[in-house]
Amino acid sequence: MSVSSQSRETERTDFVAVLAKVCLVAFLSSLGVVVLYPLFWMALNGFKTNAEIFGNPFALPSGFSIANYISAWNQGIRNYIATSVIVTLGSAVCTVFVSAWTAYGLTRSKLPGKPFFVGIVLGGLMLSPTVAVIPLVRMMQDLGLYNTYWALIILYTAFRIPFTTFLIRAYMLGLPRDLDEAATMDGASEGQIFWRVTLPLCKPILVSCVILHVLFAWNEYLFAMIFTSGADLQTLPVGLTSIMAKHGTNYAVVFAAMTLSALPIVVTFFAAQRFFIRGLAEGIGK
Amino acid sequence: MADLSLRNIRKAYADLEVLHGIDLEIKSGEFIVFVGPSGCGKSTLLRSIAGLETITSGDLVIDGERMNTVAPCKRGISMVFQSYALYPHMTVYENMAFGLRIARAPKAEIDDRVQKAAAILQLSKYLKRLPKALSGGQRQRVAIGRAIVRNPRVFLFDEPLSNLDAALRVATRIEIAKLKQSMPDVTMIYVTHDQVEAMTLADRIVVFKDGNIEQVGTPLELYKRPANLFVAQFIGSPAMNLLEGTVVGKSEGVMHLMLECGAALDVSADRGALPVGERISIGIRPENTQITASGESGPVLTGTVDFVEYLGEVQILYVDLAGSAQKYLIKAADEKTYARTDTIRFTARAHDIHLFDAKGRSIAGRALEPRELAQ
Repeated sequence: MSVSSQSRETERTDFVAVLAKVCLVAFLSSLGVVVLYPLFWMALNGFKTNAEIFGNPFALPSGFSIANYISAWNQGIRNYIATSVIVTLGSAVCTVFVSAWTAYGLTRSKLPGKPFFVGIVLGGLMLSPTVAVIPLVRMMQDLGLYNTYWALIILYTAFRIPFTTFLIRAYMLGLPRDLDEAATMDGASEGQIFWRVTLPLCKPILVSCVILHVLFAWNEYLFAMIFTSGADLQTLPVGLTSIMAKHGTNYAVVFAAMTLSALPIVVTFFAAQRFFIRGLAEGIGK
Repeated sequence: MADLSLRNIRKAYADLEVLHGIDLEIKSGEFIVFVGPSGCGKSTLLRSIAGLETITSGDLVIDGERMNTVAPCKRGISMVFQSYALYPHMTVYENMAFGLRIARAPKAEIDDRVQKAAAILQLSKYLKRLPKALSGGQRQRVAIGRAIVRNPRVFLFDEPLSNLDAALRVATRIEIAKLKQSMPDVTMIYVTHDQVEAMTLADRIVVFKDGNIEQVGTPLELYKRPANLFVAQFIGSPAMNLLEGTVVGKSEGVMHLMLECGAALDVSADRGALPVGERISIGIRPENTQITASGESGPVLTGTVDFVEYLGEVQILYVDLAGSAQKYLIKAADEKTYARTDTIRFTARAHDIHLFDAKGRSIAGRALEPRELAQ
């Protein structure tokens, strides 16, 4: 009797567990569809003609011709991608480098009043880019940097340092001090400890920071629009709006251009996803 | 070859002083062990010697040269950390070569020294592995190897065996002892709270308490002639039994003591007599206590067994004494088995009875003949 009731209880527990798992999988699948479907739809529409887009917006294209993609590539996307790559990589390297040094100083130095400096650096998180635009335009003009790659590289670096420092600092706080002390005993200077011991150990969080920065810089619109004016210096978001303005009626080319602009970032994210998740989780956990 | 001289070393963090004027002379080639309870300042002193902590006042002198402000790497000191502190992204070879590469030593010399150290520590076949692919004992050996390659004058060990399991700890302890034998000129300072490590490795042991040195001496000196109650109880396992009492009378060169448990004891007063009425403690180690058969002459104490721990070769008896809330521990051979509620009579040889005054200082005078009182 009791064996039978125990087995019924076990069956009920199994059923609840399976149901919970099915619900979870269904929910995550729906979430995946909601996130990924617009991207697929955009990419598929890049293969259609204008008539197909309006006639059958959700159908598969009649053929997979890459004419629209070639057309978008030749109509400026190539330049915009090149500019975006230069600005994004340049600012990513500067941001991560400066932030890592700052985080090292804030975690390892015996600076008096360190919490005050931590507060100042992290206080930068609250600074709104929109509010700073007008003085920044004047500054960039005075420095002769307006409408150059450097204008965007410097601004992206400056505005991302607080957040990136915050992440790297959290990670460095979790690294054992014994390693620094062992390196000190081995005769390493502060610079050598930073480059040869601390920085290699921060690889997961550095990769996360690079990805977050690339996502930001690749999609940034406000500064890119204000601080660049020539077509040869425009980044993708600004360039895409000009393509849309130029080819407002040719949606197939616009979709192809948008797909091309999104492609590098999607590929980068999936390639480095493992590091990204690990870096953030470790940074927060410790 | 390095003589170390610590002169009135003090270390304070803001208003909190953790080392209160340490004076210690360490001879070249000595193996010195710092022991003491957690927070007593032994690791702080070690780190101050290494240069990882600044010395608030006093002098650290190595071979006649004041080292207080000299960079850690220029003191001729290597340190093995409790956590090993191996660089996780470097191979065993790179870990051991790191210091020499920083010092820009020639490649051939680096390779030679690393290979020699690896051979001594039986690490030659692991040189290309990362630390995460090594066992705890192997990691410890890499940490030691990293210290060896720098040819230090002074070796510092900060609780190097505390992360190892019991079997590995014994094996590594023996390796460290052999290492010391192979490097007779190198001075070694070893911090531990494990007294077995201290007793087996040390030429001399320094016992710390609350930032002060309580006693410095050879392991046997500390065991046989503890300077005070703290050392007496800290050295030896299980700890020394203490029995409270009072000086009840004096005759020529002899003090008569009455213990709270009801026993009486006569002691010679050859280091200054204590006044009548003075509180005293006597200490007897569990292993120096002898259980006597009923009817034999000279037993001091009688008690009831409350609990027995069987350890194989010996048994530890926890005995209730009349007039004492504390258990009296006896380490007895396994020839006879004891059980709870057994009444036993026991004594100790006169030279195994330690005496301490009211302030806990040792009194050199030995006990004379213990005599049983009517209990």
